[in-house]
Amino acid sequence: MGGGGFSARPGDPALDRFVLRLTGAPRPRICLLPTAGGDSESQIRRFHEAFGDELCEPTDLSLFRLGHNPVPLREHLLSQDVIYVGGGSMVNLLAIWRVQGVDRILWEAWRSGVLLAGLSAGSMCWFEWGVTTSSGRPTPARGLGFLPGSNSVHHDGERARRPVYLDAVRSGKVPPGWAVDDGAALVFRGNRLAEVVTARRGAGAYLVTSRGEQRHAARFLSDPHHRRRESAAAVAELRRLRLAGLGGRD
Amino acid sequence: MSRPRQILAMGGGGFSMEAGNALLDDYVLSLTSSERPRVCFLPTASGDADHYIVRFYRAFSAGRCEPSHVSLFRRDGGAADLANHLLAQDVVYVGGGSVISLLGAWNAHGIDVMLRAAWEAGVVMTGLSAGSLCWFSHGITAFHGEPKAVRGLGLLPWSNAVHYDEEGRRSAFRDGVATGELPPGYASCNSAALHFVGSDLARVVSSREKARAYRVSPGGPDTPIAEEELSCDFLGALPEPALVA
Repeated sequence: MGGGGFSARPGDPALDRFVLRLTGAPRPRICLLPTAGGDSESQIRRFHEAFGDELCEPTDLSLFRLGHNPVPLREHLLSQDVIYVGGGSMVNLLAIWRVQGVDRILWEAWRSGVLLAGLSAGSMCWFEWGVTTSSGRPTPARGLGFLPGSNSVHHDGERARRPVYLDAVRSGKVPPGWAVDDGAALVFRGNRLAEVVTARRGAGAYLVTSRGEQRHAARFLSDPHHRRRESAAAVAELRRLRLAGLGGRD
Repeated sequence: MSRPRQILAMGGGGFSMEAGNALLDDYVLSLTSSERPRVCFLPTASGDADHYIVRFYRAFSAGRCEPSHVSLFRRDGGAADLANHLLAQDVVYVGGGSVISLLGAWNAHGIDVMLRAAWEAGVVMTGLSAGSLCWFSHGITAFHGEPKAVRGLGLLPWSNAVHYDEEGRRSAFRDGVATGELPPGYASCNSAALHFVGSDLARVVSSREKARAYRVSPGGPDTPIAEEELSCDFLGALPEPALVA
């Protein structure tokens, strides 16, 4: 995602609901990795506010809180349907994942079919290259390289990124790739782009090569009210089950 | 006159752990020759937790020093600004948390190199827990569960253990030194702090009377480990003594 989802203001549930639907699971287990934001309390709180009302099992995994809240990293991550990576500093995100071996666990999770999702730093991290503002000015930075090519985010929202990304691709510093607006998302199956979806009219994704940028066809995600009402009724039922101690996990 | 290289490595204590007891933090400020020392807080090991930064500014209020902090999760300046800012300090104060994440993030931003330069220029380096372990060649961390050995920045050629009064750390540290996995080193309990001038231990100070610190080295054929309790100056009782190197 180029931006959007629960961490956008105001909240943008369409992309997050799309993530849940992609899993095909009736009650997907979704784990937030808020590492890029330094495990910020506000990011974690907004995640739970957004996903607490959806049909799913949300958890968060704070690497900075393992001291007083130990979690078996590999076991927890591999048991998810979705791993959702929050935004923040891409440089810190990758540095901290590497020293803790989380990069290898994520590779294993992806290979075993866990959906990897995220916005901003949590989007660029999957590609060979991204454009980070981790030290202020936009700068090309290496990602994990699960997906080939490069990615830049907030393409319409943060003006300073666009020229840096286009220049980096034109000069060959980074490979061709995808620029994504706030509210738009790339869906990859394996390492091939399956489609572009958007939750906001006008938002899109662009293929960026040395010859410039070209808008890609996108599907607008409608989020009609009847679905919302249906979902609210299901959530109420889920809450009753949880209260009765029947809906819990582990 | 050039300033000596100094590190105050706390096993635990200061504003992070001892609300209402400012003895160790006061001692840090006394190590500088400045009337209104510039103190920069690095909360990296906590993920730059907001509440921690707020507590730092409460403890190091503008009345007694010139406080600042550097957040690596919300950076808005270039590397040159950061290096200059660290060099311009009297004290760099490193907060607790995950030493592994701390060192990984510092390395990614080049902070490790900047801190060494600042230390060599006489900026006092201090911190507790992860903010103590980081200065040494090796340390024992228990943040991620079972105690394990980690490499630090190596400003000091020793190994280090913190919260030495906590279960598990002591045996892991002693075993590591006995087998040679860890170089000889120093362990400190909560409220005790090791004051190094250059790479030599100059003094052990504490904010509680019963706090302890130890020098740990390989023993002889009969005892695999030598653990020597160090004499420790309780800062609450003593007038400013002239023991410091």
